[in-house]
Amino acid sequence: MTNAYQLTNIKLSYQRRLALDIPSLTIPTGKCIALLGENGAGKSTLLKLLAFTSRADKGEISLFGQSIQSSLNSIQRQKIGFVDQHPYLLPGTVEANIKLALKLQDIPVQEHQPLIQLALEQTKTSHLAQKQSNTLSGGELKRVAIARAIVYQPDILLLDEPFSHLDQHHMQLLEELILDFAKQKNKTVVFSSHDRLQGMAISDEIINLVAGQTTASPLLNVFHGTLSEHLFDTGKIQVHSTSTQTESHHIAIDPREIILSAQPLQSSMRNSFSGRLILIAEEEESVRLTVDCGESFHVIISPESLNNLNLSLGKTVCLSFKSTAVTVF
Amino acid sequence: MNYFIDSLSAAIELIFSFDPDIYQIVFTSVLISITAAIIAASLAIPAGVTMALNNFHGKAFIQHLLNTLMAMPTVVIGLLLYGLFSRLGPLGHWGLLYTPTAIIIAEAILIFPIMMNLSITAVKSADPRLVPTLISLGARPTSLIINVIRTTRLAMLAAFVTGFGRAIGEVGAAMMLGGNIEGFTRTMTTAIALETSKGDFELGLALGLLLLIIAFALNFILSWLYSRND
Repeated sequence: MTNAYQLTNIKLSYQRRLALDIPSLTIPTGKCIALLGENGAGKSTLLKLLAFTSRADKGEISLFGQSIQSSLNSIQRQKIGFVDQHPYLLPGTVEANIKLALKLQDIPVQEHQPLIQLALEQTKTSHLAQKQSNTLSGGELKRVAIARAIVYQPDILLLDEPFSHLDQHHMQLLEELILDFAKQKNKTVVFSSHDRLQGMAISDEIINLVAGQTTASPLLNVFHGTLSEHLFDTGKIQVHSTSTQTESHHIAIDPREIILSAQPLQSSMRNSFSGRLILIAEEEESVRLTVDCGESFHVIISPESLNNLNLSLGKTVCLSFKSTAVTVF
Repeated sequence: MNYFIDSLSAAIELIFSFDPDIYQIVFTSVLISITAAIIAASLAIPAGVTMALNNFHGKAFIQHLLNTLMAMPTVVIGLLLYGLFSRLGPLGHWGLLYTPTAIIIAEAILIFPIMMNLSITAVKSADPRLVPTLISLGARPTSLIINVIRTTRLAMLAAFVTGFGRAIGEVGAAMMLGGNIEGFTRTMTTAIALETSKGDFELGLALGLLLLIIAFALNFILSWLYSRND
């Protein structure tokens, strides 16, 4: 099956800073994909490129196998629905806002009403149809914006931080809405989130974004610094790696690759740090710990290990990991 | 003081006597200014929106030029058009000199930069998410401009009213190009200048009051529309 997107050698600078640098990225059709990263990692910038509301300085983007050189034609435009992090509804009623999308997409007038009804039902916003856009709550506004984006039945739905600033009830409604859309045949959803757990919970695949670059590593234990002679210096600690890529400025360490112990371990592991336990958090079937070793390390262990190690907040613990556990990018 | 109060009461009497000569002048003034404002707005508003939505080489220069033209004295526009429309001028054969059309052209040129600048400001002060939202919903260049104008319509109406107000209060170009011909090109401002110089202060004052009433009514309508929108 043709991929929804294929990005090649994408570079985009913002205020003289390289905001996106993606050598290659494929987004398959029919998947729900979470775009994860910290604030400022480039998630919104990437989504705007995918929505073709902004352009890269360099590189090529293909949409369903067709390279997009300038602007989208009407058929391509109809394939993408985009909802911004802070959606904007034009003055007027909810229905007028949704109808505007149909008008702009040149959908025949006789099809407007059934499509509007369907979009309102899908987003559970039928009761809001005649409400003025400036009277909606944050959660209602996001669902109406999604209704407006899916009313012309696009194949791709792009959502920028859809869950931010929402209460539990609206968050749940939105999760259901995204999953319902993604369940349909050949529909692709790409949504950004800085909440790694939430992203993983409802997506089929994950794209990690760090400082404008995609990385296979999880987004925990990402440090900025310089690499020289296999030694990565963050300015606070030095980490051994096997990489010689001197032009790289980031490392990531998989939290599951870090061994936690009460005393320093006698082993072949090149990296060993001691630090204070500052956070213990329960996550589904595991426990996430944060240890301050000069840099904050996140470590994931089992609840049994937590009991065996008899850990408590403020206790000094030792961390060890191999240099091969360090991903340099 | 008595002179001013007597003149003012005479002027009010003139207004309420519904003298056809006075209302002929008011009608001519309003017609010329409205036509000039419609012509200028139909060009300046799309031009302003297009300029605000696009970045291109020379944009800063055009912006400076617009600012300069906004401050251009009306007699200079009158003078240039007089040169073009006079019998010996390059457009003399059109026979426009001393016609309402000549005044309309002058006033449209005068208010074009004002309306265009205000349109640019209207787009710039609109919600920054407006344009990206319309593009993401599928707007193409023409539908984008139409929807931006529709969304910022009150600011655009303010640009229109400001332009109309400038046109109806203009005297230099109207005098030079219209010739102040009674019943044909005599506007409120040219009549005020003429009648006052002839010593008919009451008539000048009556027309001045009507001019103020028109300006007040326009601003009242605009404020009402703003409050209705809120």
